[in-house]
Amino acid sequence: MPTLTDSRKLELRRELETIVGRGAVLSDPDELMVYESDGLTLFRALADFVVFPTSAQHVSAVVKLANRENLPFVARGAGTGLSGGCLPAEGGIVISLMRMNKVLEVDYENQIAVVEPGLVNLHLSWKVGPRGYYYAPDPSSQQACTIGGNIANNSGGPHTLKYGVTTNHVLGLEVVMPDGEIVWLGGKTRESCGYDLAGVFVGSEGTFGIATRIVVRILKKPQAVKTVLAVFDAIDQASAAVSAIIARGLVPAAMEMIDHLTIQAVEDAFNCGYPRDADAALLIELDGLAVGMDVQADHIVAACRESGAREVRTARTEAERQLLWKGRKSAFGAYGRVSPAYMVMDGVIPRTKLPYVLRRVNEIVAASGLRVGNVFHAGDGNLHPNILYDPRKPGEEARVVAAGAEIMKVCAEVGGSISGEHGIGLEKADFMPFIFSVADLALMHRLKNAFNPSGLCNPGKIFPTRKSCVEVGPVAYRPHAIEEKGLAQRF
Amino acid sequence: MPDALLEKLRAAVGPANVLIGIELSPYVVEGRTPEAAVFPGSIEEVAAVMAMACEVGRSVTPWGGGTAASVGMPTAGAGLILGLRRMARLLDHEPGDLTATVEAGMTVEAFQTALRSRGQWLSLDPADGDRASVGGVIATNAYGPRRHLYGSARDLLIGVTVVTADGSVVKGGGKVVKNVAGYDLPKLFIGSYGTLGVIVEATVKLRPLAEHEELVCVRFDRLKDAGAAVKAIASSDLIPNAVELLDGAAVGGAGLAAGAPGPPAAALVVGFDGVREQVDWQRAELARLTGPLGSRDVRQLDAAAWPRLGPAARGAFATPAAVMTLVVLPTQVADIMEQGAGIARGRGLQSAWAAHAGVGVMRAALGSDPAPTDPGAIAAVLTDWREIVHAGGGHANLESAPLAVKSQVPVWDDPGAAGRIMERIKAQLDPRNILNPGRFVAGI
Amino acid sequence: MDTTTHASPPAATGPLSLHGLSVEGVNQCVHCGLCLAYCPTFSELGTEMDSPRGRIFIIKSLAEGRMSLSDSTVRHLSLCLDCRACETVCPAGVPYGRLIEAAKAEIERDRPGTPGRRLFRWLNFGLLLGHPRLLGLAASGARFYQASGLQRLVRKTGLVRLLPGTLPAWEALLPPVPAKAERAAPPPLTPAEGPRRARVALLTGCVQSVIFGAHNRATARVLAKNGFEVVVPEGQGCCGALNAHGGDHERAVAMARQTIDAFEAARADAVVVNTSGCGAHMKAYGHLLADDRGYAERAARFAASVRDVAEILAQEPLRGPLSPVPLTCTYHDPCHVVHGQKIKSEPRKLLAQIPGLRVAELTESDWCCGSAGIYNLTEPEMATRLLHRKVSHVLATGAEAVVTANPGCILQIQAGLGAHQAAAIRVMHLVEILDRAYGAAGGGR
Repeated sequence: MPTLTDSRKLELRRELETIVGRGAVLSDPDELMVYESDGLTLFRALADFVVFPTSAQHVSAVVKLANRENLPFVARGAGTGLSGGCLPAEGGIVISLMRMNKVLEVDYENQIAVVEPGLVNLHLSWKVGPRGYYYAPDPSSQQACTIGGNIANNSGGPHTLKYGVTTNHVLGLEVVMPDGEIVWLGGKTRESCGYDLAGVFVGSEGTFGIATRIVVRILKKPQAVKTVLAVFDAIDQASAAVSAIIARGLVPAAMEMIDHLTIQAVEDAFNCGYPRDADAALLIELDGLAVGMDVQADHIVAACRESGAREVRTARTEAERQLLWKGRKSAFGAYGRVSPAYMVMDGVIPRTKLPYVLRRVNEIVAASGLRVGNVFHAGDGNLHPNILYDPRKPGEEARVVAAGAEIMKVCAEVGGSISGEHGIGLEKADFMPFIFSVADLALMHRLKNAFNPSGLCNPGKIFPTRKSCVEVGPVAYRPHAIEEKGLAQRF
Repeated sequence: MPDALLEKLRAAVGPANVLIGIELSPYVVEGRTPEAAVFPGSIEEVAAVMAMACEVGRSVTPWGGGTAASVGMPTAGAGLILGLRRMARLLDHEPGDLTATVEAGMTVEAFQTALRSRGQWLSLDPADGDRASVGGVIATNAYGPRRHLYGSARDLLIGVTVVTADGSVVKGGGKVVKNVAGYDLPKLFIGSYGTLGVIVEATVKLRPLAEHEELVCVRFDRLKDAGAAVKAIASSDLIPNAVELLDGAAVGGAGLAAGAPGPPAAALVVGFDGVREQVDWQRAELARLTGPLGSRDVRQLDAAAWPRLGPAARGAFATPAAVMTLVVLPTQVADIMEQGAGIARGRGLQSAWAAHAGVGVMRAALGSDPAPTDPGAIAAVLTDWREIVHAGGGHANLESAPLAVKSQVPVWDDPGAAGRIMERIKAQLDPRNILNPGRFVAGI
Repeated sequence: MDTTTHASPPAATGPLSLHGLSVEGVNQCVHCGLCLAYCPTFSELGTEMDSPRGRIFIIKSLAEGRMSLSDSTVRHLSLCLDCRACETVCPAGVPYGRLIEAAKAEIERDRPGTPGRRLFRWLNFGLLLGHPRLLGLAASGARFYQASGLQRLVRKTGLVRLLPGTLPAWEALLPPVPAKAERAAPPPLTPAEGPRRARVALLTGCVQSVIFGAHNRATARVLAKNGFEVVVPEGQGCCGALNAHGGDHERAVAMARQTIDAFEAARADAVVVNTSGCGAHMKAYGHLLADDRGYAERAARFAASVRDVAEILAQEPLRGPLSPVPLTCTYHDPCHVVHGQKIKSEPRKLLAQIPGLRVAELTESDWCCGSAGIYNLTEPEMATRLLHRKVSHVLATGAEAVVTANPGCILQIQAGLGAHQAAAIRVMHLVEILDRAYGAAGGGR
């Protein structure tokens, strides 16, 4: 990558301004600093420019300029990601999609919508809500995260057990390829011709190009919803309840579990009415036809009681339902109030392995002298250990990161994965060998080459930085290559 | 095939598992006879065979149950058939996790039987489940009427083990239902028709068996009315697991014409599952919705009717002249059915149409009795059909047709600029172009 | 590989502060970004520096010495409305309002700007807001200006720009200034009607008392009808909210002391406020004067006694009888009531008790209208954008009137409706419509 002299920067800035307009290019160091992180402040990297296109043509022209100048580039949505995925790890241009945020088209009869990537996820559901529809993938950050970001990470949310993840709701994408060409992958129909390029693009974490238009499915809102809260004295019982529910042939729309520390934090911060000494709470939501829902809810209550639930509450009104969810939704905020900082981890394990994994997680964190609160998407095995720490105490951050790596190893060990929702990004690139062999990674590289042969599109993500092909299996924690180059710091 | 290669193959998989000569007759496709058929019994053997073939540049055609062997463009070299039938074990079924891992050669039906014994199933119902293999169903993205509610392989496959052209064994995805580590490789192999690798193992998401399931047939005097009924269902609170729209000819093809005064112009076949209460309520609601739209009658069908639905269009003719799969928007289905039938009639041919109406995927069969002999007329109809589909933004692929027709009408529709990306992917994964060369979209 | 990177100096040790005011709250921010979609300036611009998360980052970097007050930094901080919508959604409880006020104080100290700007600020914060009688005099001047035909002349010829201080922009926003008699404050004591519930002291405000004296009188009446004895303490002046929000910290502290003195003398059970910014600001007097040995405890006690008029009236059902007000209205939540004080359901509860009144929900009812204190004067472009957004939502409700509870919002929305040729839609204060329900024909004067 060439060094950019100040005068060259100025020239490029002017050229970028002729593409996207004045007031749509940032190159001031103070302003660039504000873009140095996403939702994970552990990693920082500075871009040379941040630009704000308002059309696919703009994006294409910027990408072509980047190609010509051999500058890396990366797309960015709201910057709420938790793996450093939109950081300009090797400098270059950050292409912010926040000014491309419209709903372009809604076809209720065919149940599809065409949207721009900078549209906030929840805003799509708000838009189609009055007609009785919604957009199903609902990550917890949906009030802020964008559809484009959801595409990059194949985002999930509490309802993936029943409704799947983002890729199950994307039919087509208009993409600016890494060389600047504008291509449609898939379209508006439910099947496309040839390889499922749209399916491969979703979850590619911005390394295959930049989506500028997205065709998504919208669903009719369910006729009825019912929510049950069960409280347990032992987390193993809660885990058993989940299995028991499935054994009864039920597929709830959501099953969320929170642990002892989380319950206490939630109670201390918000007073939601959970028993402070409970070991685990399980929040289960059913949706679908009104007919038969009571029967299904009874099954769930029975399954919980049989597994030893101390208390089971069913919401009778919408207000009660909101109250039951409040405890779960307040979890992250509650951690923030009981600890100066916390690190959100993201691992996936087979549901049946939860009790073992939780024991290991608690052991690992305790051994580091820290505390952890666990939030678990019990429906799909996605575990979020939240390690509480104080960044101002020397050495704590390093211990958090090390504990994180150990936890990832445990997830890999039990046949799980190292990321359920947040993506690999920068944060977990070195952990990929925990679950993928050299051959697996080589295949992914080849796929990437088909889209991004120049490597300029979001470099430094997903793949481990060690070029050695021999390192397979658990890798001890090491500083990331971009830290060694002085392009990023942990603090 | 040079003897040296044959010997190496025999050594790799065992002599009994290498077929040549007369034994190859089940593997003759559209008049092309392969050089040999090899049946490895493990992933290592598959890898060894692939490595050998790659070294000498022999083309390879993966073979599951052979139910889709004649789909696609005729492949370039005759080459090697790599059969998966010896790899047919259920490797792992974890009911508490709702996941299972299976070897690719297991038939769909055998897989379902094993799952059912623990109260679960793979929510995929492609035709010919007794012969089609799980690997083949994934490679061809095959599905049936229940795709309406349960999706396709895209929504069910969570992990895959593949042997690539050079004999490497790679894993994509994993064993957990939610996984975003690395690229979504399983998506790449779904529907790739064996051109990117040989699927040897698959891990899928399962569902608990529903307590109760029912199939309801609503017959209409006008196709238009049936089309309106489909829209009414889509905007209602009903949650059917199948919504099939059949035209008059397909109604006959599915054996649903009986017991009506005169042939119905169309039928809507809708499936419901869940607890008894839910099925009862939905059946009644369906009758209530379709009555005012001109339905002739509403009957419950036997479960045996399910397998007749997918092949209903083809079933209308003793020997269909051609079968095309048309992918359009759901709201366009009924109109295109009518237009398409008109186009066929205009050329003196008959057609039958059956659609997964809520998904927008239809199958149209062309035929006449006696069987038509003019490939030109057939090709003209197929080309016109493709055009009306294009006008609506969809695409159409030729599922089956005689070679004389395939030479006039491209089997696969044009993927547009995306085709170039597909070519690059193929070049990256199979640089020597030995896996099903020339069989797929964009000449891949 | 080289890029021009920013070498980050080590973070400052010790507690973080700007202008001597603590900004430790920045450390509560976990960078989750949930605030972005609720920030009006971010929604308009899409740039991270114009979002709460970005501004918190800037404030933190300033306090740590990683950043300095450059033109762009000052610009992005100045564009903040201080509407505190971000506080409502923040899961980590970051006290954003305090952070931005500390930053603005620092800006005032470090980058006071041109002499013209300094004069403008002294005229407003030092002179007009600090001296109620001067404000009253200015209002009389404005009235003469309007009644004599001078306004027509000045506007036609464009001489308006020569007027000093805030007056030119107020000029544009000015409704007809009422005659002096009409600007009268409520009587010093209004006895409770019926069984007495409590004794409350009313803040008459600065701008409020000059332009909307009628609202103060209506407030006293409505409170009295509901069993409150209403006293209007003498010697009260401006509470200092505008000063604090504008970075004029020292004067704000002085005004706070003065306000506490004036109200303590009244010996009331509660201090009632009918303007949003004042209510929120006075509820934070404890924090403002926390380091003041003489006033810390008194300020905390005072702050705990402050009530927004909707808050205190909604505690019990309104005492009747209430006459019908056959109107379709919609409610705009002033920022410092809904976000600053978390009062959202109370005004709606009150409106629901007025017979004949239909209330249409307003989309983005809790989004800033762009008034934001004197923001519409200092950042007219963004203020106008937000005003257009607000007015289009209002028009979409089909309401005949907009009800709200802040003079700045009333002036701003009125101006906006006028610009959209919708001046027929009235903008009323919540107490006005309650007053009407209590039989004051056409909203009593």
